[in-house]
Amino acid sequence: MSTDAGPEVAFEARGVSRSFGATRALDTVDFDLRSGEIHALVGENGAGKTTLAKITAGALRPDSGTLRLFGEPYDPRRRSDGSAAGVAHVRQQLSLVRGLTVAQNIELGRPRALGGTGWRPWPRAFNARAARAEVERLAAELDLAVPADELVDDLPLAVRQQAEILISLAWGARLLILDEPSSALGPLETDALVALCLRLRDEGTPIIYISHRLPELARLADRLTVLRQGKVVTAGRDVHDADLRRIAELMIGDITLLDVERPALAPGEVRLDADGLRVAAEHGPGLRDVSLRVRAGEIVGVVGVAGNGQDELAGVLTGQLRPDAGTVCVDETDVTGSPAAAVGAGVALLPEDRTAGLAADFSLAENLIARRVADPQFARLGVRLTKAVQRHARALAERFDVRPPEPALRAGSLSGGNQQKLMAAREMERDPAVLVAAGPTKGLDPHAGRAIRDRCFEAAGRGGAVVIISADLDEVAELAQRVVVLSGGRVTDRFGVEEMTSARLGAVMAGLAWDPAGEGLE
Amino acid sequence: MAKLAELTFWTATISGGLRLATPLIFASLGETIAQRAGVLNIGLEGYMIIGALTSLYVTVESGIAVGLLAGALSGAVLALLMVWLCVRLNANQVVVGFGLTILGVGLTGYIFRLTTPLGAERRQVNILGEIRIPGLSDIPFLGEAFLSNSWMTWLAFGLVPVVWWLAQRTVFGLEVRAVGEDPDAAFARGVDVIRVRSLATLLSGLLGGLGGAAITTALVGVFEPAITAGRGFIALIVIIMVRWSAWGVAVGSFAFGLADALGANLRNIVSDSVPTEALQTIPFLVALIILIIGARRARMPKSLGFNYVPDR
Repeated sequence: MSTDAGPEVAFEARGVSRSFGATRALDTVDFDLRSGEIHALVGENGAGKTTLAKITAGALRPDSGTLRLFGEPYDPRRRSDGSAAGVAHVRQQLSLVRGLTVAQNIELGRPRALGGTGWRPWPRAFNARAARAEVERLAAELDLAVPADELVDDLPLAVRQQAEILISLAWGARLLILDEPSSALGPLETDALVALCLRLRDEGTPIIYISHRLPELARLADRLTVLRQGKVVTAGRDVHDADLRRIAELMIGDITLLDVERPALAPGEVRLDADGLRVAAEHGPGLRDVSLRVRAGEIVGVVGVAGNGQDELAGVLTGQLRPDAGTVCVDETDVTGSPAAAVGAGVALLPEDRTAGLAADFSLAENLIARRVADPQFARLGVRLTKAVQRHARALAERFDVRPPEPALRAGSLSGGNQQKLMAAREMERDPAVLVAAGPTKGLDPHAGRAIRDRCFEAAGRGGAVVIISADLDEVAELAQRVVVLSGGRVTDRFGVEEMTSARLGAVMAGLAWDPAGEGLE
Repeated sequence: MAKLAELTFWTATISGGLRLATPLIFASLGETIAQRAGVLNIGLEGYMIIGALTSLYVTVESGIAVGLLAGALSGAVLALLMVWLCVRLNANQVVVGFGLTILGVGLTGYIFRLTTPLGAERRQVNILGEIRIPGLSDIPFLGEAFLSNSWMTWLAFGLVPVVWWLAQRTVFGLEVRAVGEDPDAAFARGVDVIRVRSLATLLSGLLGGLGGAAITTALVGVFEPAITAGRGFIALIVIIMVRWSAWGVAVGSFAFGLADALGANLRNIVSDSVPTEALQTIPFLVALIILIIGARRARMPKSLGFNYVPDR
């Protein structure tokens, strides 16, 4: 494929850096995309892939560094500059406007250079017939089943994505950026996407393809670049020669088993028994036959890239989501699909999204009795016993080290760490039979993180079965004794925490089978 | 009661209903666009009353054409405050809206007092004449009832298809719907959300001011404090009832106008046997039922009342 002049470069970034506050999202990154190639950009969540994509599309400006597009200096100030220059960014949250049809979306915001709207004193008629014809012509050319006249809201995600790619091309895209395009697609839809990408590449549109699914990249990409914590770890490696296992390992980085003081826990009887769980999810893989057994005094970590069934698992284990098949038993009581039964059996949940677990505008005291408002301790004849509630709140807040332990304070005014402690106080006030904690120390400072970690140990030490669901491997390494890998809605690997290595985890999380002998791919 | 069977009663009621619908049509047409763009102008009453005062005062000096224009522009000036505070500075739309209503009512009352001799209660101009369509307007009943209207009434109904076209058949209309449904996605598509919302709000101010002008110049020919009597709020109700449809605005405004006229006319003739209030409710009920059945499919703009803050 090389010519005498060498491959032509479609897009080039040199020494690009960008910070958000104290976080360095990109650190002197070099990246180049050749014409006629699909260049995969891989890395963990937060590695800087999307930041680089946004900079390429003009939605973000770099703090430093230079860009070139098709040989010309390129300095987009806003997204519309990017699209006018022919760079189309198809984001994870697709940007077709709901409430309008595909044909209407093709006209909306079309760059002025391409016959789109600019300011003009008189309103321009929207030619619905021409817009429809354009959608239909392109759909036929690309062999896509994109209906022109249906509301975007009614289309399945895969079709919406195709529509957005189609519109990008109609707007004259010369370069496509696809950001995690397959993360919410099923296998057949992914196949169609791969075929579409290959076809576009062959017809001359180079693609930056962001993903962390290595098997898919092996079918699709020509070269790949690995980002980790804002830095390029591997630049423009030829995919066909690369050892995907090594790439997976590079994505993850080193796992350090910190010297956490782990209490000696002696697992007892099975307290949580989830068997054969299946959930069909609208987006993402849902759960496909997941079983999980956790004993008293045991902490199990569920790891995996976000969006591989974690939310569904947390929902089902706490009774909030009814699975299509399978059962969840706590101490041999069936709590499947019943939040009330789950609470009654002693299931506690620390959700990943704190705003979902706390009422930010309510006081500490109100949040702390949220599960027990009608408890005779706190209410008589339907009237709240304010003093008892306050006393209870202060005692509990002090016990769980919520700062400040002021019962009347708004929960939303606490720091993230103290909100997490507050939630823990409510959930673990009485020793839970089962504790499901999703990313419990995510975003916390070391002190607060340590406090929450100790609470998890404490819950296990008192005979609870603890499940930590997290995409943060360090967190799991610190807390769990056993590790379960969730990928594509299935449990793809199980091992003791001492066997957790970056090579093994990287491989299974990226969807490769783990085979210690290291012989080839799945 | 016998009068109810007379044709003249209904002729008067229907043409009265059209007259009373006129300010509502102007105000709700503009507000339909603004709401579709996601901006809730609770200050519509304020736009109307300031338009009512301005148009009357300017008409006295410079004639009707300049008067109407000035009325519309004065509404737009108030709407400019809405644009600045809510669309640009992200203030709460409901709070600012009520503030603008209070401002409009207070300011016009104040100006009226300053400029009116002590003891006088109102200011007058000659109201606009009717336009009759030769031949058609002379058709018994139908012609008299529907086709002998004030200038402003013809203009109001004439604006309905224009606004419909603007909302449904232009790129601006698409942009308006896009920023009212899903401003983040619209922004990502390259639509200038702030500009579209600003224009839509100004349009609401222009037409709100014109609606107010219709009251003073076409309906009563008088300005007195609080002359709009809550019509700005009625217009907001009309829009919700007809679910943001321009044609619906015409029908809904007429329904309210008719109810108004019927109530007024019935009061003159009703016998002791039926309470006036009971009679007055009938058209409202009928209008409600018709509109609820007739306009079910349209839906509320998803981002109505929510400011757009670009996340960058």
